[in-house]
Amino acid sequence: MYQVVIAAGAAPLLSFDELLAADANPAGTGWSRPNLVWLQGASCSGCSTSFLNIEQITILDFLTYFTRLIYHPNLSSATGNQVPQILHKLAASNKPYIMVMEGAIPVKMPHACMMADRPISEWVSLLAAKASVCIAAGTCAASGGVAKMAGTLTGAESLDDFLKQRGIKTPSVNLPACPMHPEHMVYTLLHFIKSKSLPELDGARRPRQFFSHSVHDRCPRYAAFQARDFARCIGEEGCLLELGCQGPVTYNDCIAIGYSGNTNNCVRAGHPCIGCAGELFPRPLLYHSHDDPRPVTGVILKKS
Amino acid sequence: MTVTKITVDPLTRVEGHLKFETRIENGVVVSARTSGMLFRGIEKALIGYDPRTALQLTQRVCGVCPYAHAEAAALALEDAMGIRPNPNGQLLRNLIVGAYQVQDCLFHFYQLSALDFIDVTAVLEYRGADPGLTTMRDWVRNEVRSQRIFPAAPFLPRYKADFLKDKECNLSVVHNYLESFTVMASLHKMVTLFGGKSPHPVAIEAGGVTTRPIIGNLAQYRTLLNQVERFVHSCYREDILAVCRAFPAYFKEGRGYGNFLSFPYFPDASGNNHFFAGGATIEGKHTPLDLNAITEDHTYSYYKNKPGSGIKPLGVNRLEPLDWQEFQREEQRPGGKYSWSRAPRYRGKVMETGAAARVVNTYHSGRNPALNQLVDRLNRDLGISLKGYNSVMGRHLSRYITVSLLLSRLKEQVEQVQPGVLGFSDKNVPRGVRGIGITEASRGALGHWVEIDKQGLIKNYEMVMPTTWNMGPRDSTGQPGAVEKMLIGTRIVDPANPMELARIVRSADPCVACSVH
Repeated sequence: MYQVVIAAGAAPLLSFDELLAADANPAGTGWSRPNLVWLQGASCSGCSTSFLNIEQITILDFLTYFTRLIYHPNLSSATGNQVPQILHKLAASNKPYIMVMEGAIPVKMPHACMMADRPISEWVSLLAAKASVCIAAGTCAASGGVAKMAGTLTGAESLDDFLKQRGIKTPSVNLPACPMHPEHMVYTLLHFIKSKSLPELDGARRPRQFFSHSVHDRCPRYAAFQARDFARCIGEEGCLLELGCQGPVTYNDCIAIGYSGNTNNCVRAGHPCIGCAGELFPRPLLYHSHDDPRPVTGVILKKS
Repeated sequence: MTVTKITVDPLTRVEGHLKFETRIENGVVVSARTSGMLFRGIEKALIGYDPRTALQLTQRVCGVCPYAHAEAAALALEDAMGIRPNPNGQLLRNLIVGAYQVQDCLFHFYQLSALDFIDVTAVLEYRGADPGLTTMRDWVRNEVRSQRIFPAAPFLPRYKADFLKDKECNLSVVHNYLESFTVMASLHKMVTLFGGKSPHPVAIEAGGVTTRPIIGNLAQYRTLLNQVERFVHSCYREDILAVCRAFPAYFKEGRGYGNFLSFPYFPDASGNNHFFAGGATIEGKHTPLDLNAITEDHTYSYYKNKPGSGIKPLGVNRLEPLDWQEFQREEQRPGGKYSWSRAPRYRGKVMETGAAARVVNTYHSGRNPALNQLVDRLNRDLGISLKGYNSVMGRHLSRYITVSLLLSRLKEQVEQVQPGVLGFSDKNVPRGVRGIGITEASRGALGHWVEIDKQGLIKNYEMVMPTTWNMGPRDSTGQPGAVEKMLIGTRIVDPANPMELARIVRSADPCVACSVH
């Protein structure tokens, strides 16, 4: 049934399993693996290591069947001057490719992130302009994250802001969360590979599939919240709101799909949500004691 | 005399944006410069934030070793609070950081380093039926025959080098390269069971770990540990020994100063009796750790401040980064500043941190007989001595030693956790105090220093990272940094393919996002 919907050009919400099972191209004989280039700006490589936790497909399948990973800073054999050669050759090749951006892009201080003697911002401009689609992996690329936290000096920007500033019109997808969920990345890539289109996005260019619900909406402690039963310390059963939980203002499906193959998530680990997928992450006060007066009196008003 | 310059920028298969330059005279490296090329300024941005946020945010300094930052930040805040976790809190924290350390070491050997030694194209000769290897073989065959512009990326292109000749051994490492992804995912699951997620486990807080241990998650941890143990004791052990045996010359290559610094790591349930000893080995002599001996120098770092040396942690409120023009000028100026990284020193000396430092210091301390036995046995098998640990292979071997010993400790400690008992006690953030937290990341000695103001907010924060020790630049006296020293004296066969240098730098497992932060 869903294949019919694809053919009609609508944007169905495919489950991950449906997407994996979907024929690549019902009319043809499979797909050509898209080229993929993965850049790291002001990042920590956390989204890359998170990506390796994917369970729905193997990394071998990712490398040999779904995509052609032209360059990845942590996996490529190519090193030194081979890297700028590859990136220039790709940009000049007129072949379609997907660009993944991990980390924010320092603009005020371009020299804060250099690769092959050029600021990373130049590499992003060069490669994003000719990409079929750009994917912002993780909160730093999607909204600045810790690279843009109050008090930083580098003028780090999200991928979308950067593209807008440079007048680059390539479509983008934002996959916030710190770290990025590997399922989000693989789903988005497969959607693009199999249906030649992006999954349906919201106003912040996030796939609706994952970011329509707040963490609070699906929280296992939601019943406690409705009963106004608030935990007064870690270890109590109640809602964690009065310990600093950011669940009501954070949109992500981590409660539903968890981390590391749904092994756990922050709230199940007894910890308030720290809002890692939120646009304002990191806020100056995260988990705090129940009787801490500062969240109420507003001592914490740090501005950059 | 022929003089050449080799610049490698970027060095891939490390964390972050790393560049290094060497000057070669008659085929031998005579000088070297290592540069960390990413600056975020997170450390000083923390000023004004709540101290507890440092536990979450300093993890974001590094997505490869976030656990160590969580632990160091928790220890620093606990030091300021004057508390310690209860036994369950300590044990659960150990289960998180221990599993993560193992993951990190496997990642370093298989994903980051193995491709420097083994020949991936050996799969073309594969005749067996292993699904992973046959997929790989058919894929490589099709790729190299194709007219594509980047055949067999990301495994090709690569430097031409003296790769491993033994076919079986190459196939074994390629097989285990693929297998290790699953094992690493299992280790991340073990972290996630008590840490909430991985990378960036959220549940480590000052006061313990917020996850309540129950029979279910403990049993799951134990089951996953079995799987990891099988891989480490068969695959990882065999592969590391095979590479050590195939490249005996690399027990002499990449020799640094031989001064080793490590911090106490992996305590028992009481938070004491660390499994790996801290200390400093300088010129072969082991001395107890003295945190007051640690200073930083920023003479060759991209900051505006006057050349400074001998600065104690928390001694500078903020270093002002160079602007674009100043940066350009320094790049042009001979002898100019060349790294975002600073240069930490211990009694003014350059120290190497990391697995080799951990093993050598623990060996000298004599406090862990299991480690001494394992080291002695390996030394006998490989025909090396403790001096050989100051080398490329010594560092790889030391990671295996760490992993092997950690697994046995994790097995003991998972049994010691009391199911149902919360390993966390709450305390308000104190006012007007300082705290220090030290531990070992997989890359080596990591310290966090925190100063809290009268409102209970961060007044100053300082992190001294293992990679800053290793990859830092020269200091005001002109002493080359630890990895710079390792590079000097290396003979280069082919300047267009300086694999020798790449192997040396990668053996120190640099993490640039950490080193500058």
